[in-house]
Amino acid sequence: MSQPSVISRRVATAAAVSLALVAGLAACAGPKSSDDADGGSGGSGTSGKPQKGGTLTVLNSNPQEDFDPARLYTSGGGNVPSLVFRTLTTRNRENGAAGAEVVPDLATDLGTPSKNATVWTYTLKDGLKYEDGTAITSADIKYGIERSFAAELSGGAPYLRDWLIGGADYQGPYKDKKGLASIEVPDDKTIVFHLNKPEGEFPFLATQTQTTPVPKAKDTGTKYEEHPVSSGPYKVVTNENDGERLVLERNEHWSAETDEERKAYPDKIDVRSGLDSAVINQRLSASQGVDAAAVTTDTNLGPAELAKVSGDKKLAARVGTGHFGYTNYIAFNPKVKPFDNPKVRQAISYAVDRSSVINAAGGSSLAEPATTYLPNQKSFGYTPYDHFPAGGTGNASKAKELLKEAGYPKGLKVTLTHSNDKDFETSPEIATALQAALKKAGITVELKGLESNDYSDTIHSASKEPGFFLAHWGADWPSGGPFLAPIFDGRQIVKDGANFNTGFLNDASVNKEIDEINKLTDLDAAATRWGALDKKIGEQALTVPLFHPVYKRLFGQDVKNVVISDWTGVLDISQAAVK
Amino acid sequence: MSEALLVQEAGAAPVAAPASGARQFWLRLRAQRAAAVAAAVVLLLLLAALAAPLLAALAGQDPDTYHPDLVDSAAGGVPIGSFGGISADHWFGVEPQTGRDLFARVVYGARVSLGVAVAATVLQVAIGLVVGLAAALGNRWIDQVLSRITDINVALPLMVIALALLAIVPPSFPRPVLIALVIGGINWAGTSKIVRAQALALKSLDFVSAARLAGRGRWSIARRELLPSLAAPVITYAALLFPVNITVEAALSFLGVGIKPPTPSWGQMLTEADTWYQSAPTYLLIPAGLLFVTVLSLTVLGEGVRTALDPRAASRLRIGTGREERGERTKERAS
Repeated sequence: MSQPSVISRRVATAAAVSLALVAGLAACAGPKSSDDADGGSGGSGTSGKPQKGGTLTVLNSNPQEDFDPARLYTSGGGNVPSLVFRTLTTRNRENGAAGAEVVPDLATDLGTPSKNATVWTYTLKDGLKYEDGTAITSADIKYGIERSFAAELSGGAPYLRDWLIGGADYQGPYKDKKGLASIEVPDDKTIVFHLNKPEGEFPFLATQTQTTPVPKAKDTGTKYEEHPVSSGPYKVVTNENDGERLVLERNEHWSAETDEERKAYPDKIDVRSGLDSAVINQRLSASQGVDAAAVTTDTNLGPAELAKVSGDKKLAARVGTGHFGYTNYIAFNPKVKPFDNPKVRQAISYAVDRSSVINAAGGSSLAEPATTYLPNQKSFGYTPYDHFPAGGTGNASKAKELLKEAGYPKGLKVTLTHSNDKDFETSPEIATALQAALKKAGITVELKGLESNDYSDTIHSASKEPGFFLAHWGADWPSGGPFLAPIFDGRQIVKDGANFNTGFLNDASVNKEIDEINKLTDLDAAATRWGALDKKIGEQALTVPLFHPVYKRLFGQDVKNVVISDWTGVLDISQAAVK
Repeated sequence: MSEALLVQEAGAAPVAAPASGARQFWLRLRAQRAAAVAAAVVLLLLLAALAAPLLAALAGQDPDTYHPDLVDSAAGGVPIGSFGGISADHWFGVEPQTGRDLFARVVYGARVSLGVAVAATVLQVAIGLVVGLAAALGNRWIDQVLSRITDINVALPLMVIALALLAIVPPSFPRPVLIALVIGGINWAGTSKIVRAQALALKSLDFVSAARLAGRGRWSIARRELLPSLAAPVITYAALLFPVNITVEAALSFLGVGIKPPTPSWGQMLTEADTWYQSAPTYLLIPAGLLFVTVLSLTVLGEGVRTALDPRAASRLRIGTGREERGERTKERAS
């Protein structure tokens, strides 16, 4: 009889001790934040002048797998990768819309186009060095790009293969020693690209890590990812379990004079991945010990976590808000009945209840209603339109009217395909919200949830594509091009393999306009034309735009100089300081 | 409660004399206060499940209508008001993000949770009876084969097989039926083992031998002589299986392979609620509390049923040890 009570007493003591510890830590943390309050405005981590030193911890769920510039698929060079890999051009590290601009990095400018934007010439800055002190040459950039064509180093975006002359057949430098003839290096400072068609947005593509210089002598093939040679402010010291733990320390040969974008305040960056998203948010909100100087580059606050944070003013001050060019929408396959009838597609466009969809996605703080396919940002050429106004909660009577005209006076029964991922994007809760809204318009919706891989295979297969499904699209760079061309260019319909033109649109006038815009090197003019094209395509009701996500992410209480651009929507760790 | 334990306890009942009448059973069951209360709770829950549309209509709600005005959209969709938005209109509050009425969802969810458990239990008992009786009454060869199949069935990991089966069946198949079939089809070995053991013991008793000598067929003997005597252990075992089946359905739905939205089930509600435990605790507490009350009541009722059917076994299990009783018996024989 005595044994159980002893155990329970021991447990009780342990609990009391740990409670006391937590209280003690909280007490220690107290004065620190009040110091901040004295020095700056309010107790938030963003106040105070950023200074060099300290260790910034990154708490992530996804590991930095394949940390090789040839294999990374990034938008604008990535967040952690951009600390190690410099590129020809890069994203402007500023808050908001200014951050969606492309700026020079290794190159002196955004490139000089010639021959109708089919030839792009770049000149490198002076004084560029690797982590071992040797000079960076344009031949190394050419070699870095060529590596990305090797089958064993695949993973990057498809643009270089599609755009460079001879790119489609090139096998990479290990099999083809002669290299790719469409990239010329007349001297150590100059590199020239020859494209097979006009591409005014080449400067955007040049931000991706494939334009990172790789010294041929140091290339170890697939093992290069374990210790890539740094051209940026930090070098890789430790890389455990394929990027699960990544420790970066200062690269002494990097010079701030050649790099206007990266601030590099902390002395050390410690990236710890493979964490559960709930754990990351819990640790960031507690902000104890090393977590006080921690950020995350991949974990958003979920709806329930946001509800908790909004009730706590101190915590709410440590939330960074950002916008990434992204649209969640309903897609139709007009080859499947009854979606071949434009009136049916229009009826559904009228019937959607965007307010309940947004609530299902996490509420008005985590999602903004979308009536355009292009994201609601200037850099994309956002041109407001609402061809089938559903209002906030749907226009059921207009939808019924259209269904009647389409020959369905008694309503309609359809199947909505979605994924079973809990991502608040194409997930069951969004589908259920739509199901409830369409019911009001007499449309009975049956839900068909597919597992992640099955979902992605099905919606991107020209033969298996369902008639009515949830989809999403994000930008490779903040412009209308990579948003509209893959989805609406008729020449990009793929019969076998991954097809993204889910509406099977093959309209000669649309195709021609895409070609015309690609010739423009004035990116603002191009943006306006992309916006007009989006408005025109929207009339066909091949998609029903639903919402654009808003990113809300916590950061630790010691983190300063929080910069969130509209390019990534995420706190830029090259700007963050912990002292 | 582990399955092995269930088998052991229910099977520990000695070959009882044929049930001494339903009236006596009721009297014995009513005499146990805990069991009587548990029975009332179970009855209430079953009635609520059956009358779900009526109850929801009484509350003026239905389980599928969205109420976007009842949640704070800017704060992640947390219900407006205290205790998860409990009000005169919404007796259990509303669901975060959607504003759907929780009372309506809970009573409709009871239909799925209890319905699936009832169907699965019936299936387990039916398969167990057929297989167990066939093994006991058939020749050695049939007994060997069926007993090995039963052993394999015992060894099957229920959750793993259920996860695999539910993942491959096309989504057009009605989910509640499928889940009942899967649970019933995988987890019947316990019933079968008890039935076989009891039937083998009964087979050698005089009244069965008499029937056999009278030239009656095997199935006639099984139906007329064995089944009535098997009722007590089988009902007892079924009463203990029922709450297990409820928790299995909840676990499957919690893992995301059970009931699909928008159909509510308690397990499915728990899945949705698990991230909300800090910001909207009532959302989690209501289905969790109901599941707890249901399973507890059913378990207490199951114990009560066993006691009422076989008071001798029950009192032996509770107070004494087997040795004492055997000692008494030896004394009786000696005297």
